[in-house]
Amino acid sequence: MTRTRAASLVAMSAAAALVLAACGGGGGGGGGQGGGGSSTATGLFQNCADANTCNAVPADQLKQGGQVSFAIEKNIDNWNLNSSEGNVFETNMALKPLLPYTFITTPDLKSTLNPDYVTSADVTSTSPFVVTYKINPKASWDDGTPVTADDFVFNWKTQDGRDCPACETAGNGGYDQIASVVGSDGGKTVTVTFSKPYTDWKGVFNSAAPLYPAHIAAQHGDLNTPAGLKSGFDYLGSTPVNYTAGPYKVDSWQPNVALTLVPNPAWWGTKPKLDRLVFRVITDATQEPLALQNNEVQVIYPQPQVDLVSQVAQIPNVSQTQGLGLTWEHFDFNLVNPFLADKALRQAMYTAINRDDIIAKTVGQFNPEVKPLNSHMFIPQQDGYTDAVTPTGQGSGNIDAAKKILTDAGYTGVGTALVAPNGQAVPSFRIRYTVGNAVRQSECELFASYVKNLGINVTVVPTDSLGKTTSSGDFDIIVFAWVQSPFVFGGAQQLWLSTSGSNYGKYNNPQVDQLINEAAASTDIAAATKQLNDADKIMSDDAYVLPLYQKPTFVAVQNTVANVRNNSSLDGPPYNAAEWGLRSQ
Amino acid sequence: MLAFAVRRIAISIPVLLVAAFVVFALGTFAGNPLDPLLAKNPPAPPNVIAAETVRLHLDQPLIPRFFSWLGGLLLHGDFGPSVVSTQDIGAELGSRLLVTLRLIALAMVIALVLAVLVGVITAVKQYSITDYSATFLGFLFIAMPSFWLAILLKQAGIDFNVTVGDQVLYTIGASSVPPPPDTWDRIVDILGHMVLPTISLALISYASWSRFQRASMLEVLNSDYIRLARSKGLPRRTVLVRHGLRTALIPLTTVTALDLAAIIGGAVVTERVFQWKGMGDFLLTSIQTDDVYATSSWLLLSAVFVILFNLAADLLYAVLDPRIRYA
Repeated sequence: MTRTRAASLVAMSAAAALVLAACGGGGGGGGGQGGGGSSTATGLFQNCADANTCNAVPADQLKQGGQVSFAIEKNIDNWNLNSSEGNVFETNMALKPLLPYTFITTPDLKSTLNPDYVTSADVTSTSPFVVTYKINPKASWDDGTPVTADDFVFNWKTQDGRDCPACETAGNGGYDQIASVVGSDGGKTVTVTFSKPYTDWKGVFNSAAPLYPAHIAAQHGDLNTPAGLKSGFDYLGSTPVNYTAGPYKVDSWQPNVALTLVPNPAWWGTKPKLDRLVFRVITDATQEPLALQNNEVQVIYPQPQVDLVSQVAQIPNVSQTQGLGLTWEHFDFNLVNPFLADKALRQAMYTAINRDDIIAKTVGQFNPEVKPLNSHMFIPQQDGYTDAVTPTGQGSGNIDAAKKILTDAGYTGVGTALVAPNGQAVPSFRIRYTVGNAVRQSECELFASYVKNLGINVTVVPTDSLGKTTSSGDFDIIVFAWVQSPFVFGGAQQLWLSTSGSNYGKYNNPQVDQLINEAAASTDIAAATKQLNDADKIMSDDAYVLPLYQKPTFVAVQNTVANVRNNSSLDGPPYNAAEWGLRSQ
Repeated sequence: MLAFAVRRIAISIPVLLVAAFVVFALGTFAGNPLDPLLAKNPPAPPNVIAAETVRLHLDQPLIPRFFSWLGGLLLHGDFGPSVVSTQDIGAELGSRLLVTLRLIALAMVIALVLAVLVGVITAVKQYSITDYSATFLGFLFIAMPSFWLAILLKQAGIDFNVTVGDQVLYTIGASSVPPPPDTWDRIVDILGHMVLPTISLALISYASWSRFQRASMLEVLNSDYIRLARSKGLPRRTVLVRHGLRTALIPLTTVTALDLAAIIGGAVVTERVFQWKGMGDFLLTSIQTDDVYATSSWLLLSAVFVILFNLAADLLYAVLDPRIRYA
C-alpha cells in the first residue's frame, strides 16, 4: 500500500513538473537592435533614435540612493564564467558589475573597449600577431591588489587547454592560439602574442570571459603547475564571488533567492547612484510581470511570448521594448540521409518553405519587426551583413519554383508521391524539435505542410533532448537556434567547418572550409568579411541550413528606473549596471 | 504500540528500496544529464564531457551505480553527485525542507480547522443554504486549477496593495531582499510574503478535506449509536462533539496524513508560482536537469514522510477510537 502511495505521489509530482516545465519560459538570451526606434517600444523607450542611449538620464540628474531589482531566471550554481558549468547567461549578467574585462558589447551590438579597465588595446604587430593592452593604472581589486598582466596570464593558462588540461572550461577558442602573455610596466602593459593572425582577437579577455583575480587563485594552488591552476580555477567556481574590481561589490548571496550588490568604495570610475543592485532569482518567467507590477522587481528580461508581452502592456508606469538579437532560428538538414544528400531536393524543399508565413504565425504575433534572416554569417546589425538567401529563392514559399527544381533534376511524382531520379521513392522524413516548445512545433508543422505540396511526407517528432538528438544525428530535419557570436570569424569556424563539433548535419564543402579558415586568420577585416560572404553564397546555394529569423528579446522597466535599456547581446541589459539609477521625480 | 510502530517501519524498508531503485532506473533512462553540455555553443571541450561522465558515474552500469549511491547514502550520508557540481544534495534537501515546512505549516492548520468546522456544520445543517453555499465553494476550489487560483490571488493581492496605497502583500519569495533591518518590520514583511501562498494552499486542501469531513459526519450522525445517544437524552453538543465528531475524524485523519506527506514532499505548483524554493521546486529542477541522484534522493525523503505520516495516522486511530488497540 505504501509503495502504491509513493508511486502515486511521484507520478503526480512528476506530472505537475512536466506541465510546469512546458509552461515555463526560457531565458532571455540573445542579442538585438536594442530597441532603438522599435515599434514595439512604449513609454521610456519610445522615439529612441540610438540604441545606446535609450532611457538615458545623466548621472547628476539621478536620485542618490535607492534600490533596483533585476529578475534573473536561473540560480547561480557556479561563479566561474569561464568554466563549462558557470558559463550561464544569467550568471554572466549578474557578475557584470564585478569583474574586469577588455571589450563589452553595447546595445548596437558593437564591441567596445571599456576604458575603466583597459585604456587601449591595439594590434601592434601582424607578424607575429601581437596585441598590446594598456591596463588602466587605477584598476585594482578591492583588496588593493592591482589588476595586472598576472590576471591575464592566469585566465589564459586556465583556458588554453594546454597548461591546465583538467580545467573544465567553457571553451578554448582564441586562448588556444595564444603563444605567450607577457607583462611589463609593472604589469600594467600586457603583450599577447598569437601563434598566427587571429581576426577575432577582441573576443579573448572580453566581457563574456572576464578576468578573475590571479592572486586569489594563487592562494589555492601553485599557478605554475597544472594542478595548482585547476585548484584555483575550481575555487573560483565553487566560492561565491567575494572580490571585485568593478563598480559594485557583493553584499550578500542567498542561494536561489538573490545576489545583492552595493557600491564598491574602492571603485575608481564614476560612482554608482544606487545603494543596492539586486539580481533576484525568479525561475518562472510567467511570474515576472506580476512581480514587476507589484514593484518587487523593477526590471525584467524574459523571453517574450504573446501573453507575456500583452500582460506587461497592461501594467501602468512600466515601459517595454523588444530587440532583435544574436539568437537565430533555423532549419537544418542531415546530409547523412542519402536522399537529403541530393542538393536539388534540399533546394526544392527550402524553396517551398514560406518564411514570412512562419514568422506571421509565430513570433510575428508579438513583434511585427521580425523579418527573415538572410545570412548564415552575420545578422543585420553587424558590419558585413549581406543577403545571400533571397537570391536563391529559398524561404520564399514558391511552390512552382520548387517543383521546377525537382522536375529539372529528374524527379518524378512531383506534387503527388515524389520519386528520385534513380527510381527510388523518396521516403518520409522526420523533423525534430524540443518537446514543449510550441513555437517550434508550429514551425515543424508548417514545414511539413509546405513540402507536402511537393509530394514529400514529413513527420513531426519531438525530442526531449536536443543535445542528444543533434550530437547523435538522430534527425532528418531539425529546427533550433544558434547564438550568433559577436566575433563572427571564430563563430563561423564554430558553426560551419566540416570538422566542427557543431556540424551536426555533416555539411562538408572544402571551399567553404578554406574561405572560413582564411577569414579567421586574416589581418584585413574587409577582406575577411568578403571571404565570409563568399562562403555564405556557397552555403546558401548548397541549401544545408535555412536561416529563419532573429529571436526577439524583451525588456520591461518601471518608469522610475533610468539608464536601463535593451542589450540583446550576451552581456544583457546589465552591461551598464553602474549607470543605473532612479529618477529624481 | 511501540512494537507495532517498529514493525511497520521495518516492513517499509524493502518497499523504500524497491521504490528507490525504480525511480533511479526511470531517471537514468529518462534523460542524459550531459545534455546541457552537449547542446552548448560552443560545445564543451571533450575533456569536460569525459570528466563529467566520470564524476556522475555515467561510465558505470545501472546496477553498480545504484548500489554505489545507496551504499554512500546509508554508510556515509552522501546523497551522490548532483549535475550541479557545487550542490550538496543532502544540505540542499535540508534547507528546502525547512522552506516548505515554513510555507505549509500555517496553511495546513487553517485548512484543517476550516475543513472540520465546515464539514460538521454542513453535515448538521444538510441541504440548508449554508450547506449548499459551502458545497458550491468546496467544489469550486476543487475544480479550480491550483496555479490559476494562485495567480488570481496574486492579482488580488496587487489590487489590494494599490487600494491601500502601500506594499502590504508580496507575490514572490519568503521575504524581501534585503529584509528590513527592524525586527517588527521584518516580522510584518515575512507575514506579508506568507499571506497569499498560505491562502492558496489552505483553500486547495480545505476544499477536499471539508467534503471528506461532511460525508464522514453524515454517516456517523445517521448511525445507530448516535440515535441511542440522542434517545438517552444527552445534550446535543455532547452527542455531536464527543460521540459524533470524534469518530468522524478517523477518515479525515487518513486523508490528512497522506496529503500532508505529499505536501511536505513539495507543494510544487504553489512553490513555483510564489517562488518559494522548497522541496517541490527542488524536484521540478531536478527533473528538468535530469539530475538522477537529486531526484532519487528527493523520492527517498518523500517516501519516508509518507511512511511516517501513515504510521502517525494509524497511531492516531487508537486515540480517536478507543476500540482500536495495537498489540
